[in-house]
Amino acid sequence: MMITILALSAAASPLATHRAILAPESRLLAIRAEQVVLPDGGAPARGVILIEDGRIAAVGPDVEVPEGAILVEHRGTASAGLVALHSYSGSPSEMFDSTRSVLPEARVSLAFDPANPDFADALRAGITSIVLTPIPASLCGGTSALVKTSGGVVVRGEAQLSLGFSSLALRNNRFPTSFGGAVAELDRLFEEPEGVFARAAKREIPVLLEASSREDVARAIAFAQRHELTGAISGAAWAGELAEKIHSAELSVVCGPWRIGEERRDLLAVLALEKAGVPFGFAIDAPANHPLMLRAGAAMCLREGLGRATAWRALTSDAARIAGAEDRIGSLSKGLDADIVLWSGDPLDLGSTPQAVYVDGKLAWKDKP
Amino acid sequence: MMSRMLRIRPLLSCATVLLAAAPDAFAGGRIAIKAGRIITQAGPDILNGVIVIEDGRIQSVGPDEKAPWDAELLDHPDLVAFPGYVEANNSRGMDRPNENVDVAPFLDVRDSIDPISSYFEDSLRSGVLTINVQHGPPAPGSGGCVIGAQGMVVKPFGLTIEQMVVKPAAGIKISAAPKAGKSRATQAQAVRKAFTDLRLYLEKLVQDKKDGKDTARREALYQGRDLDKEENKKGRAMEGNATWKVKGLEAIPRGEIDDKQEPLLRLVEGQIPAFIYCDAAAAVPLALEIARDNGFLAGTTLVLDGDSWKAADLIAEAGVPVVLGSTLVHVERDPVTGKEKETFVPGVFKKKNVRFALQSLNPQAQSLWYQAAVCVGHGIERKDALDAVTRTPADILHLGDRVGSLEPGKDGNVLLLSGDPLSVSTTVQYVVLGGNLVYDRSQDVRVKHLLEGVEQPNTAPRGVEVQANPHDDEKETGADEEKKKNDAGEKKPEKEGGGQDREDP
Amino acid sequence: MIPIHALALALALVPAGRREDEPQRRWTIYADEIHTSTGRTLANGMVFVNNGKISLVSTGREESPERELLKVRAVTAGLVDASVRIDAELQSVEQSSEISPSVRVADSLDPFSIEWDRQVRSGVTTVLANPLDLDVVGGLGVVLKTAGPESIEARTVRADAVLRGAMGSQPSYGNHPAFGRPTDFFSRRPTTRMGVEWEWRKAFYDAAASRKDSERAYPGSDLVLRALDGDLTIAIQAWTTQDIRTAVFLKEEVERELGGHPRVLLDAAAEAWKEPDLLVRSKVGVVLPPFPSNGRTGEGSFMAWNVARMLHDRGVPIALSSHGSANPEDRLPLQAGYAMRGGLDFESALEAVTISPARMLGVEDRVGTVEVGKDADLVLWNGPPFEPGSRIVGVLVDGVLKVDPREQAE
Repeated sequence: MMITILALSAAASPLATHRAILAPESRLLAIRAEQVVLPDGGAPARGVILIEDGRIAAVGPDVEVPEGAILVEHRGTASAGLVALHSYSGSPSEMFDSTRSVLPEARVSLAFDPANPDFADALRAGITSIVLTPIPASLCGGTSALVKTSGGVVVRGEAQLSLGFSSLALRNNRFPTSFGGAVAELDRLFEEPEGVFARAAKREIPVLLEASSREDVARAIAFAQRHELTGAISGAAWAGELAEKIHSAELSVVCGPWRIGEERRDLLAVLALEKAGVPFGFAIDAPANHPLMLRAGAAMCLREGLGRATAWRALTSDAARIAGAEDRIGSLSKGLDADIVLWSGDPLDLGSTPQAVYVDGKLAWKDKP
Repeated sequence: MMSRMLRIRPLLSCATVLLAAAPDAFAGGRIAIKAGRIITQAGPDILNGVIVIEDGRIQSVGPDEKAPWDAELLDHPDLVAFPGYVEANNSRGMDRPNENVDVAPFLDVRDSIDPISSYFEDSLRSGVLTINVQHGPPAPGSGGCVIGAQGMVVKPFGLTIEQMVVKPAAGIKISAAPKAGKSRATQAQAVRKAFTDLRLYLEKLVQDKKDGKDTARREALYQGRDLDKEENKKGRAMEGNATWKVKGLEAIPRGEIDDKQEPLLRLVEGQIPAFIYCDAAAAVPLALEIARDNGFLAGTTLVLDGDSWKAADLIAEAGVPVVLGSTLVHVERDPVTGKEKETFVPGVFKKKNVRFALQSLNPQAQSLWYQAAVCVGHGIERKDALDAVTRTPADILHLGDRVGSLEPGKDGNVLLLSGDPLSVSTTVQYVVLGGNLVYDRSQDVRVKHLLEGVEQPNTAPRGVEVQANPHDDEKETGADEEKKKNDAGEKKPEKEGGGQDREDP
Repeated sequence: MIPIHALALALALVPAGRREDEPQRRWTIYADEIHTSTGRTLANGMVFVNNGKISLVSTGREESPERELLKVRAVTAGLVDASVRIDAELQSVEQSSEISPSVRVADSLDPFSIEWDRQVRSGVTTVLANPLDLDVVGGLGVVLKTAGPESIEARTVRADAVLRGAMGSQPSYGNHPAFGRPTDFFSRRPTTRMGVEWEWRKAFYDAAASRKDSERAYPGSDLVLRALDGDLTIAIQAWTTQDIRTAVFLKEEVERELGGHPRVLLDAAAEAWKEPDLLVRSKVGVVLPPFPSNGRTGEGSFMAWNVARMLHDRGVPIALSSHGSANPEDRLPLQAGYAMRGGLDFESALEAVTISPARMLGVEDRVGTVEVGKDADLVLWNGPPFEPGSRIVGVLVDGVLKVDPREQAE
């Protein structure tokens, strides 16, 4: 979206907040908010975020708004955009091949439609980056993609190599039909000298281990350890009950999504992850689930006793790391993409709503007043 | 029925098992049984004692008895004598264990019992000599009742119902568990309605009589009842402890009461016992309420299943005995931790001092002795465990004066066991039923088959060819069967390889 | 559970490197009878358990303050079930190929299944887990403990213990001939019993030929070669007489023609009672399925109740098993009782559920008897073992008390 922004004298005009959408593009944008959520997760304080060429140039309470910068005043909280780790937004069915169980070269980055309303929904929920994943119905469904929810920007085209460890990966009418056969085949694939598997074996691409039960998680951990892989486990509600093992294997976890009123046991498993020091993020599995569930899931965990800082990291910086893009997204830090959400209040409070979302420094969406 | 024609095998083994032509062949005769140990279930065990039976009843049991000179003698100092086991509630042995009709007290299981069912044969083999046949619990595919048929107590011996009967009209089965298609609420409504319908029917009868209508009389005649018979001619006031009474019932000759309603009236008047099936604790309050409201609590026995043990307090308070389901250890899974919790059901009832009888799991390897043994393993006293398969079910069936122990005056039903009744290696060697030797294990063809794989003609397992007998075309029945029985144990040198005969070890 | 002071004491004694939540491992068990499975029964004896192993077995009594005390009527070794399927469903067997020797059943086992707990409660401490027998050669079975850390690797006693396969109709089930167009990948051999036998024979012949001609090798043929050389035991399911004969004749043919000396176990050999000579001659071991109450059992076979005694008298090594049945009546301790009902003496029945299967599976150095140095896998009874009138009141696996006799409140 190209927005022309009129060049206006920055600091003075009180109308600047709402006129920004009509202003010509400026190299410099400053957002001053009553609360700015800092990367260390500490108590938010009043501050300014300075954006230059789509990146965060400076952030803090003492940042000066320079000459020529457009100033946006926000009477609420500003934070980094949320990162959702597992979704089928765009066109999930385009990735599935029922006849072949191993498709390492398949890329979600080539299969999604950025104009699909799923992305606008995510954007409006405060999600600026989303990991699109292959459906876990194969032994290897391809590679996931990290994309921005506005502008169709692909941040990482081969973010994770998706491997199926649950019974969904098995079929009764094509190879493999058994867990044993699946593991044997994966072992063989990881011996290949070149290709996507080889890159994963060298830890150049993290793996996304799709599981659905604890036994799948156990199998996945054993496999990852055997081949010394890095990556995350996704899809198993009680993965947290194996938190110690996941921690020793140096893997992360993608949690959720949950329905409201979900069993306590699921949420307690997340607390176990926190206790063991396992980094985790949240999945939304849109469009089946509304992207609003991302924050709802975090709120459910908070209610169960999850620490605020952990919850916030799971929505932002830890998620970015799991997606392999902590150098680009996930916190209000200098040098990272200017993906910023302006909230009416504390983003971890479900009562707050996004009022404006910036992606790569451009205003991607604004709430109607 | 077609299926009966095909059941040659059990018929054959029945034939070889029977040593008496009919159960009353020795009526008036005497039989004396000497055993190394007699477990009377009525006092301490007797070593090297004698049981004397005359006219089908036990005359004496004692250590110093001398066997009368004119009695047939069964002398087995190596065996243990034990009373026949009593099965307090069972729905096997019929062509179908259930009916589909909601309220069917006019039906009688005597019309469903199949005397040559393998259930009875196996029961005899396992020493279960007194069996209460009732309709079973609701089950998919076999229907279920609200109020079922009248049951009867039989012995597992005889080729006709008349030969098998021990006590007819032994009780009516009521189900507090929902039958297929009903929920608990609608089942409750249906059970209550059956009794409400009875009351309304009787009130209408009385009213019609007052109004001078004789519809009931005509209907009774049409149904073929003899209204001149004594018991049908007289009317009497409604008896019993029901919370409702129909006034003026004495004006109605009993014979004019409809076939369908009359058994229920007798139930309400306390003349027939009731067996109420509860599949879960949730069904117990309904069962007790129906029994109380309609006056037959005193004659009620609850047949329990599932987690009914959780209502043990209610049951204890009502003072009724119970027949426990064949699964003695109830397993539940905790939904949060996923762990399984086991509850030993008889232990719960023992603690609450509720009288309980056991049911067999199957009539073969896990018969009543097995269930009693499992109870002992879980801490029930041996005496109480054995009572639960002998005396208590006998009392529940109102046959406490006839079966359940070896005492003078009781029926001459005696088992001779190869060892302790609760041991897995023990087998029933002989059965004396009503004073007649009706079972001899050494002659039991089927046991030989199951135990040793000895094949008999017409009894060969499917898929295995019976050895060709060179004399087959000249075959006559009888003589050749004898020869085949003798040949079965020998090696057949003309067969290739190992042959299909079992070799003598 | 374990009283606090004992736990504290145990923690004090825990050697460095142990995790702090591991339960105590020092026990003294007094028993009126200790059935060692070596032919010896000790009366009024005691067993010491230390660090997961049996450290003492003797008559007498000796208390000691650092050891937790248990008193029971009888002790036996933990039972060994040589044929078990834990929640085995279609995912345990690789059906894309009838000969899949390199597929491991260990990869499909669920360490969190409730079935492990049930096995422990019925006294079974070591099992051979097999895949479903839908393939001719289904893969590698694994011997593992039924309790311990919640991971298959940690519980494994012997990985890749047997090469598992089947004769009979089960492997051809679901296959259909490819007349017309093949509709799915089940349009393949074998569709008959003789097809099954052919697949076996081909697997052996190709593997043998691959020693000289590598073109004849196929995925897993190295394992079949090891089996041929007797280095990997083969477990073949053979219910009926014809399947038993086929398996034995195949073994003998392979010995004769390919110079192999395979070690073979027949699993679920219900009709073994019909071919004792053959079994003695071919020196195969027999694993029996649960005793049926009415004679008929799997694949239409007929199992006489005296089969255990009869084979034992002929010198055929036997083991009893539950064959993966979920019925409580088919559990292993009851099978020993039924074997006794069929005429087998107590000592032999005990061996058939402890040391004999352990030997067949090659783990007799660790389990199967109550002897010093073996894993502390013990079953504690409140009466004579295997009688239905007795109950299992305690079970130890690797010295960890999984079923506690002190909690068995009456």
